[in-house]
Amino acid sequence: MASNPMQQFTVHKIGPEIKIAGVDLSFTNASLFMVISAAAILLFLFIGSKEKKIIPDKIQLIAEMFYTFVAKMISDTAGSKAKPYFPFIFSLFMFVLFCNMVGMLPYSFTVTSHIIVTLIMAMFIFIAVTIIGFLKHGFKYLSIFVPSGVPVILLPLITIIEIISYLSRPVSLSVRLFANMMAGHTMLKVFGGFVVSLGLLGGWLPLSFSVALTGLEILVAFLQAYVFAILTCIYLNDALNLHH
Amino acid sequence: MKSLFIVLIALAAMSKDLYTAEAGMPQLDPTYWASQAFWLILVFTILYISISKFYLPKIKNNLDNRDSKIKEDLENANKFKEQSETKLKDYNLILEGAKKEVSKIHLESKNALDKDLQLKKEVVEKEIEKEIINAQKEISDLKKNSIASIKSVSENIVSTIIENITGDKLNESSIKAAVEDISKRNINKYL
Repeated sequence: MASNPMQQFTVHKIGPEIKIAGVDLSFTNASLFMVISAAAILLFLFIGSKEKKIIPDKIQLIAEMFYTFVAKMISDTAGSKAKPYFPFIFSLFMFVLFCNMVGMLPYSFTVTSHIIVTLIMAMFIFIAVTIIGFLKHGFKYLSIFVPSGVPVILLPLITIIEIISYLSRPVSLSVRLFANMMAGHTMLKVFGGFVVSLGLLGGWLPLSFSVALTGLEILVAFLQAYVFAILTCIYLNDALNLHH
Repeated sequence: MKSLFIVLIALAAMSKDLYTAEAGMPQLDPTYWASQAFWLILVFTILYISISKFYLPKIKNNLDNRDSKIKEDLENANKFKEQSETKLKDYNLILEGAKKEVSKIHLESKNALDKDLQLKKEVVEKEIEKEIINAQKEISDLKKNSIASIKSVSENIVSTIIENITGDKLNESSIKAAVEDISKRNINKYL
């Protein structure tokens, strides 16, 4: 089992098969770790907001730090108009962060290392942002594809590039997260395998590599959650504050 | 890092039993895509609702409470500071007044004492003067008396001496005149 570094990403059914209208919606290990991550977030926030302390304890302080961190991120990138979307971006950031971090635990499953999961989130953000853009600005929202100050000759080309870049947003957003998580976990697994295969004599080098990589992966787990959230903010900013 | 990763993946892929049950990336196996989508949407919706309806308002409330508390405390501190400053000013004013009062009282009492002293001094001086005058008078009286008694004594002595020498009794009036004459000449030596 341990020989295949991709083995860790396999999804398998837990419990009975659930089929609704011919579609297999069974509870899997991926679903389990989604539930664990969400439960961890809710538990953390529950403890962090349980008591109204003027001087917060550690968990309350961390919860409030997350709150102010995300609030600052949104106000810095998307301005005050994005305030109604704060709960969504906060939930998104926390969910991605906790899925990534839970994935760092040995023998766990990384929910965000599956393209389908990140793609659904990215597609939802993409569609929602597009709808918000059209609701706020009507057809004037299409001017996002026509940057100002571009020579008329170049305009058709630029517009096509802009449209392509806009349409590729969900792909880049989802693949960035998925690829980072998958690559990191695969590397950890590969180096872990090297430690075992090289044994007591030569295993120390890949082991030290593994330790360093674990640190790096924890950084990446945080960074990718941050990037995912901040890119959502930037897309939202484009839809809310149409540049001229 | 990425190229290293690709090389490693390639190495791993080439090694023994990789292409077994689920070959390649399990992420691309669509068997559980629907399930993952379903559970993701379900879990995330629950998470979003409970966060937005319950936890975020609570945390926001806590933060706002703290901010307002800090603001209030700062305002109170400023108020108290101003109060203490005015109190200090009042205190200084009172202190200054008291100092002035003290110096006034000091001056007054000093003046009163001076006056009193002067008065007493004058009285005493007057008394002393009177005493001196009295004494001088007494002295001069005594002198005058003593002159008279000296005269009579010297008259007696003179008459006795003359009587003893000559055996005659001299006229009393002539002796008196002679004594008077000598004493008049010499009296200034003693007075």
